[in-house]
Amino acid sequence: MSFLSLVGVEFKKIRRSKIFLILFIPIIMMWIPSIINADMNFDLRGIPITPENNFFIQGFMGMAWFMIPASLVICTVLLNQTERSNKGILKMLSLPVGTAKLCLTKFTVLLILAAVQMIMSIGAYYISAAIVTNTQDYHFILEPLYVCKTVCSIYAGAIPMAAVYLAISTLIQSPIFSVGIGLASIVPSVLMINTKIWFAYPMSYPFYLLMVAYGRVAWGVYETQIAWLPWLPAAAGITILALAVSCIRFGASERR
Amino acid sequence: MSLLIESQKLKRTGYLPAFLAGGFLAAAFPVVYMMVKAKELTLASGKPIAVLMSANWQMMAMLNILISICGACTMYHTEYADNGTQKMSVLPIRQGNLFFSKFVIAALVLSVMVVTEMAVLAGCAEYWFPSYVFDLTEILKTAGFQIVVTLPTVMLMLVIASACKNMWVSLGIGVILVFTFSIFPQDNAVLGLFPFASPYQVLSTAVENSRTALYVIACGIETALFGIAEVIYLKVRRCYE
Repeated sequence: MSFLSLVGVEFKKIRRSKIFLILFIPIIMMWIPSIINADMNFDLRGIPITPENNFFIQGFMGMAWFMIPASLVICTVLLNQTERSNKGILKMLSLPVGTAKLCLTKFTVLLILAAVQMIMSIGAYYISAAIVTNTQDYHFILEPLYVCKTVCSIYAGAIPMAAVYLAISTLIQSPIFSVGIGLASIVPSVLMINTKIWFAYPMSYPFYLLMVAYGRVAWGVYETQIAWLPWLPAAAGITILALAVSCIRFGASERR
Repeated sequence: MSLLIESQKLKRTGYLPAFLAGGFLAAAFPVVYMMVKAKELTLASGKPIAVLMSANWQMMAMLNILISICGACTMYHTEYADNGTQKMSVLPIRQGNLFFSKFVIAALVLSVMVVTEMAVLAGCAEYWFPSYVFDLTEILKTAGFQIVVTLPTVMLMLVIASACKNMWVSLGIGVILVFTFSIFPQDNAVLGLFPFASPYQVLSTAVENSRTALYVIACGIETALFGIAEVIYLKVRRCYE
């Protein structure tokens, strides 16, 4: 089976899972308080930032910090449970398809689901920015290139984290531990980006990238340059290691 | 009786170890925080426990909520996987009793977790604050308050988990609720009473605003209401299955 048709099969499996609804609701929730409290964007509290940038960054803050990791955890649960209920994984393993290939398909699906959420969040940003522009009588809409670039960088920062979550869910069979570790790892990421070893903690990457974007539009809030050097090798290493581990261990307990 | 059955069901899911690990992880926050920023906090005015709570409780409460969500999802995941509920429904046991024994277990492990966290907080206060005098009733009061304000969240999460067959749906709803209430402003008095927002309340601020009784009563009523709602839901669901 080709890789693409395997991805197609994976999407057929999750067709009735309501996952897109679960990914979509938090995006609406994220922008409702921003629209209601739109006048707060003019209260800058001494931070040198324009209201339209403030609106964008504050809106995406909760997304980058909490919702992207949490959605990835939910998606890994979905990918795992659809296989494990009714022993679907045994049927998949009996097909003439390599387990590593199956595992990489799962990872691709995970990345596509995250990408869909990102595209939806860009759409929601423009809708809410248009609403706020009308209600507040101030131009809140940022140019699409900048918004897409920032959101794409946040998305790229989420890839190592997705690999780690996939590895956790393949390594740990008991759902309470794999989900618990995933969700618990979100909480300290705010503290981690202020330490020197933030690049070793994949859950803090999206938030770090958003903070750098914040630092660029509001001078002095955070760093303005991405510290590529320790980060890029570390991120690549973590991603490759996590993917390798999950490819080797995929379906291992069922193959016994 | 059904309490025993429920705890046996959870034996191999890793339920208790997960809560203990969560409790220790949450308890590690104030220790790490004090190791880094001991100077700033010891100079702050106020009671040591109140200072430590205001610095750390947001994170610890969030961890408590997230672990409770995972716990609720696992409890009903063991039921729905391999059609366990259908087998339970043919036994001479009330469906409501099952739910309430699950709630009792969830509340007990939550209490264990909160008490562990409070013990570590007291230890931190003892170690870093020279002015601190150990006061058992204060610790117990704080722990009791934090448990009571978290109970509606635990109850509501169990109701959600019992309603959704698929684990990712209940987990998704729980996470969305946590997210929603974490981005709304915390200082709003009405919003602070809702489940998923009330666990962030701290006893010392509640005493300052003299809202302690309000929180305890409101959270008690909410917990009872969600319990009643679950009983009604179970009755209605049986008619349509």
